[in-house]
Amino acid sequence: MTLESARQRAVALDSSTHDALTALRLEPPRELFTHIRGYLFRRSREMKTENDAYKLLSYRPSNDLAEIELGPMIDKGPTPDYFRFDSGARLSFGLILREVDGRSEVVSFRYHYVFPDGRSPQYLRFDLNKAPHDDPLAEPRCHLHPGIDDVRIPFSVHNPVEILDRIFFVLERAT
Amino acid sequence: MPEFSTEPFFEIARRLEMQGETGWLAVLAPVADSTAALDQLQTELQSILQKPARVIQLEPSTFEGLLEALHQPDDDAVILSSGTGLKREKWRSLDIMRSALERKGPVILWLATGDVANLVEHAPNLRSFIGGSIFLAGPDGGIMTETERQERLKQLSEHFQLTDQEVVRKAEVGELSNEPEFVEWLVLLDRGDLV
Repeated sequence: MTLESARQRAVALDSSTHDALTALRLEPPRELFTHIRGYLFRRSREMKTENDAYKLLSYRPSNDLAEIELGPMIDKGPTPDYFRFDSGARLSFGLILREVDGRSEVVSFRYHYVFPDGRSPQYLRFDLNKAPHDDPLAEPRCHLHPGIDDVRIPFSVHNPVEILDRIFFVLERAT
Repeated sequence: MPEFSTEPFFEIARRLEMQGETGWLAVLAPVADSTAALDQLQTELQSILQKPARVIQLEPSTFEGLLEALHQPDDDAVILSSGTGLKREKWRSLDIMRSALERKGPVILWLATGDVANLVEHAPNLRSFIGGSIFLAGPDGGIMTETERQERLKQLSEHFQLTDQEVVRKAEVGELSNEPEFVEWLVLLDRGDLV
């Protein structure tokens, strides 16, 4: 086993990520936005902490692309524009979609879940880059930051709503 | 015509959800793009109520056809669309069959502008199902404002110590990172052609 064979496996993994993304076709961007907003509304109703999904989530079409955004682009501590959990954790995310033949193709995403103060790791971040990196071993296209900016662990491509499932029903319940 | 409040579909769906999902209400369709608006309402209902939502056209449906559609199944959300408007005779016949229209799931009457006066005058019993819950379809909301766009661009620029122009230039020569923030940056600048 050499570093070179590890790199070859990483290239193969990125290739399978590409295939999974090609196969993943979602509802049109505006419809997905509505579903995510409804999802956040339903989760809010199950919590004590108030979150106004209608105000928090925003949508912006731009030619054949569309972005769905919640919270700040860069996490710099708690502010009211995050989705806030009963545990004290907070979430921000950004999702870019491309409309192709009336469906959505996922171009990129970032989901940044910050644990309550004092927890380790401090955050988990799920990223999908728009294209493979030159060094896919160090930076797989679809990866998780386990609270360390420079560490990227590969994970499989998910429907954006399924990532929210993991955050709400797995991470938050373990916090 | 009385004044009705303008509400986005999210709010209309939320009201139904708070009513225990069995209520009736009426929505006055927008004059422009009413078909697209109807699709949006259907999506919003499915999303908030977490149940299927169907559109049933009131014309040219028969009495039997309407009943079958309403009751098979009877627990999903149904939008009864009046299309471009119903004649007063149709409103009268709907009013006579009002008891048969009752069902477990919510009902939304999707009305053309001229329907409200006919509903009030010729279908008073049906009108009583709706009570005061008549709304004008409002803008769906959620669109990022220009202020929000500028704020996001500012956050990115401050954090990465790059100007918008530098980001575009890097993208043009293939030197921009593939990470999601930079994709969002280009889309915020309406330079999706560089993504």
